[in-house]
Amino acid sequence: MIRVLAIAALLLGAVPSAALANEGGGGLISLDKSIVIQMINFGLLLFILIKLLYKPLLAKMEERTQAIRKSLEEAQAARAEAERERAEHAAKLQAAYTEAQAIRATALKEAGEEQRRLVEAARAEATRLVETARSELAQDVRRARQDLRQEVADLATTVAERLIRKSLRDEDHRRIVEDAIGRVDRVS
Amino acid sequence: MRAHEGTARRYAKALYELAHASKETEAVGRELEQVAAVYASDARTHEVLTRPWIKPEDRRAVAAAIAQKVGARKLVQDFLGLVADRGRADHLPEIITAYRLLVDAEHGRARAQVRTAVAFTDAEKQQLATRLERVLGKRIIVEEQVDSSLLGGFIAQVGSLILDGSLDGQLARMRQRLARG
Repeated sequence: MIRVLAIAALLLGAVPSAALANEGGGGLISLDKSIVIQMINFGLLLFILIKLLYKPLLAKMEERTQAIRKSLEEAQAARAEAERERAEHAAKLQAAYTEAQAIRATALKEAGEEQRRLVEAARAEATRLVETARSELAQDVRRARQDLRQEVADLATTVAERLIRKSLRDEDHRRIVEDAIGRVDRVS
Repeated sequence: MRAHEGTARRYAKALYELAHASKETEAVGRELEQVAAVYASDARTHEVLTRPWIKPEDRRAVAAAIAQKVGARKLVQDFLGLVADRGRADHLPEIITAYRLLVDAEHGRARAQVRTAVAFTDAEKQQLATRLERVLGKRIIVEEQVDSSLLGGFIAQVGSLILDGSLDGQLARMRQRLARG
């Protein structure tokens, strides 16, 4: 508004100068009564311009300024909200990360324990299997030895029996009987 | 078999007491053995005396007739008749064995059941009896049975005492020693 009035005053100041120039020798503006009318016209025009254009324009500008300010405030609020949410998310993320670390550590510990337990169980089972196998082997060896001894004994006595039966003569029988009778005393 | 032996002992004891009262235990024993030999040799007689569906009085009559035929005395005839009547003829071998034990005990003697690979000579038999008498302190009667399944030597049994003088026994002991290692 101040700037509009300044421009109008400048124009009004220039008009007498131009009229004076015309008086000297044919200028653009003649300084006579029409100047008043022109000034009135100018005033009316200025008033109309101010009323119909300048004020709505200012109002519009003010409105836009308010809208921009509001948008800026909203943007700032949104930004602050986003910042808050980001911080919140970061905190949550950190908590989740910490929790995940704890879970991972627990899982690792449990896995280690489980692994140790499995290894110990496997070792115990292996020891037991070895002992069982050793025991069974020893038993098999004992049984095989016993079977072998029995086989040898059976074979030896069978062979001896055949040889004796083949070679035994009557005088041998007599001698065997005599020996056996001689051993009867030992019973007591 | 154990039930047979229990029954046989009761019959033998009853007969022994009667025979002992009349001092004829030895003779009764001999006659019993003769009759038992007839039973054993004649399958039909044995069948008649042991079949339960034959009337008891018929069995008694047959038994008494056989005893009479071998010249057994009245006590033996009556006893065998009673045994047949009661259906105990199949117990006769055990009765005789039990009776022998009672008579042997009365005379302070024992019987040696000897299984031998070859028959004993009289001298061997006597020698064995003498040795056993020395060990057991009673007179020994050697009852010999030749068993061809024996390899050599003999096995003698007197009551619960068993003397194994056979090669089979020695081989069996050798087998055990070898098997034990």
